[in-house]
Order: sequence, then C-alpha cells, then structure tokens
Amino acid sequence: MLHLTAGRVAGLFSRRGVAALSSSSVKMASHGHGGVTEQADMSVPLYWDRLDTPLPDRPYKDTLSAADKSLKQKEKGPWNSLSKEEKLALYRITFNETYAEMKKPTGEWKTVMGGIFFFIGFTGLVVLWQRYYVYPPHPRTLDEEWQAMQVQRMLDMRVSPIEGISAKWDYEKGQWK
Amino acid sequence: MAHPTQLGFQDAASPVMEELLHFHDHALMIVLLISTLVLYIITAMVSTKLTNKYILDSQEIEIVWTILPAVILVLIALPSLRILYLMDEINDPHLTIKAMGHQWYWSYEYTDYENLGFDSYMIPTQDLTPGQFRLLETDHRMVVPMESPVRVLVSAEDVLHSWAVPSLGVKMDAVPGRLNQTAFIASRPGVFYGQCSEICGANHSFMPIVVEAVPLEHFENWSSLMLEDA
Repeated sequence: MLHLTAGRVAGLFSRRGVAALSSSSVKMASHGHGGVTEQADMSVPLYWDRLDTPLPDRPYKDTLSAADKSLKQKEKGPWNSLSKEEKLALYRITFNETYAEMKKPTGEWKTVMGGIFFFIGFTGLVVLWQRYYVYPPHPRTLDEEWQAMQVQRMLDMRVSPIEGISAKWDYEKGQWK
Repeated sequence: MAHPTQLGFQDAASPVMEELLHFHDHALMIVLLISTLVLYIITAMVSTKLTNKYILDSQEIEIVWTILPAVILVLIALPSLRILYLMDEINDPHLTIKAMGHQWYWSYEYTDYENLGFDSYMIPTQDLTPGQFRLLETDHRMVVPMESPVRVLVSAEDVLHSWAVPSLGVKMDAVPGRLNQTAFIASRPGVFYGQCSEICGANHSFMPIVVEAVPLEHFENWSSLMLEDA
C-alpha cells in the first residue's frame, strides 16, 4: 500500500515534501516508513500489513525454502504436534508483521507536533516584526480615554438596549449590572 | 452599532430584524447540533479499536440518513420562506426616501411634500469630536419618524453601492440606472449605523450610513430646519 509521508504542508520546501509530492513510490526512511522501495505491481495479488484489512490477498512468502515446504506439509497434520517455534515460523511464512508489530507506535507524532510548534513560533516572530516595522501608528480613537467616552456615548444613545451593551448597564446606579 | 469585539448581531431595531434574529438562532442551533454529531462520529471512527470497518451495506441507516436531512431541511426552509414573504408584504409606507449612492457618499431625497435633498459624507477621523465613532459618523443623518413604515428607494449615480443598516435588517444594492425598493419600521428611537456593502472604489469603506429614528414632531422640526438651510 502506498503511504504519503508529506507530513506538514509547510514542508513543501523541504526535501521530504518535494520527494513525496513528485513520486509516490519514494519512501523517506523515517518513522518506520523505510521498508518498501519500489512500485507495486497492482495486476497480481498483493501482500499488505494493515490493521483494518487483516487478510491480504496472498501469503507473505511466495517461494518457500525446502525447510518451509516440509513445515507446510507438517501443518496438514494435527497442530498440537507442532512446537512453538514451528508455529511461529508458519506465521512468519504467511504474514510479515504481527499485530503487535503493526500497532507499534512510531513516534511520528513528535515530529509532526514539533514541526507545528516550530512554524507557529516562526509565524509569531514574523507577526511581531510586522507590528513593529510595518504597521502605522494607532488612530487616536483607540486611546483608553476615547474608548471610555465612546462607551459612554453608546450608553447615552441606548445602543442595543434589549440584550446588548445598554441592557447590561444599570442606568439608575450608574454602573454595570 | 457593534461594540468592539462583538461577534453576534446587534439588537433589532425593526420587527423584520427581530424575525431574522430568531431564525438565525433556530438555524444556528441546527447547525451546531449537526456539527457536534459529526465531530463525535469522527472522533469515534478515529479512535476505534475495531478492525472490521468496511460494512458493505445497511438499508436501515441509509433510509434514516436520507429522510432525516430532508426533514431538517424542511424545518429550516419553512421559517426562512415565511420571513422572505413577510419582508415583501404590502406595507403602505408613510414616507418615501431616495438613497442615492455616489463615489463616495450617500445622498438622501425627501420629495413627498417638499424638495429636501442633502449629501451625507463620512466625518474624517481627524475631525471627530471625542467619543464619536471612527468611520461610522456622518455630517448629515437620514432622519426618519419612529414606528412608521418607511420606504427607501435605493439607486446609484455612478457604480454599484449597497445601502445597509444591520440593526434595521436592511440591505439593498444600489445599481446605477435601477430603482430598488426596501422598507423598514424603526420600532424604537435611536441612531442606527451601517456601511456601504458593495465594493465601489478606493473609499468604499468610508461612506457610512446613519439613520436616526425620532418621534414625529422632532422629524417635522428637523425637516423644516433642513429645508431652511438648503
């Protein structure tokens, strides 16, 4: 199965992003994605290790060694005559990974979260620089004094008196409710 | 007008706006319920331990999630259409005002009895008196009698504009060469602010609308004064 490992959009400028977007057969060898390295031939039954589709179309090992073949013969008999190692070997013939191996955490989330926080931090720096070097000075209507006079004026002209700002002012006591 | 950081609607100053507020509450509640449901389903699907997730078919749930959305849509459509037709009812206005959009000011004409006309320019920030609202105040306000149906004929002299006053629940495009009609009743006295709502050039953000609803005697005094000044 093909997995896109482009990770974060901001990684567009990184090797990881460029490679993943340009060719879906390239696997970056990180966080457990370094296994398959070639294009899958979709015209024949495939093997896969997936939690949600448990039974692949074919067993893992196509070509069996002589030892494997004799084990498969023994499997046709009663199973309690198989030793634990033989059972494990039979499993490994049919399947590549066990459920425990498939479910193993990769720690990829740490890379993702790290990337997110890094770029948020970088954006914060850009925003600070903008505020200092780019933005014009505030209009005088944003001064504390003007804002206070503005609120007083809104209350005097009964702006939104039903549920809004004037409804929250106690006109008798001259204070907020 | 809205107070700083206000997110919701301004209080209604006309019956139509009250209806719109209630409808918005209704529709938003439906939207919030559906969004919560979807968010829950997404989290449930992402965090499930089950491996067999590919159910091939199920007639019952398919029927449910076809019929239920149709019912929800009807529940939204009925109040919506009701308000739509309400807004179009014959309203027998007491007063007709023409609001003409220019680059970049509005002009109002009260021609029912006399010929009263004036321009309404935004007061620039440097000319504001302390406490006035930046980008919202105008030198002349459109004064109307309160609790009276008022018809506004909206048009434009140059490019597209739009005459909008949110607390009255009014917005009507000003199209050059076309006369658009809208109407409102100001349920309470007050000053109601709006801004041009169709991009019209460099100063599109700087041609606000101010409607002042006053008792009838005050309106009559005002119009006499305005006629003298003209």
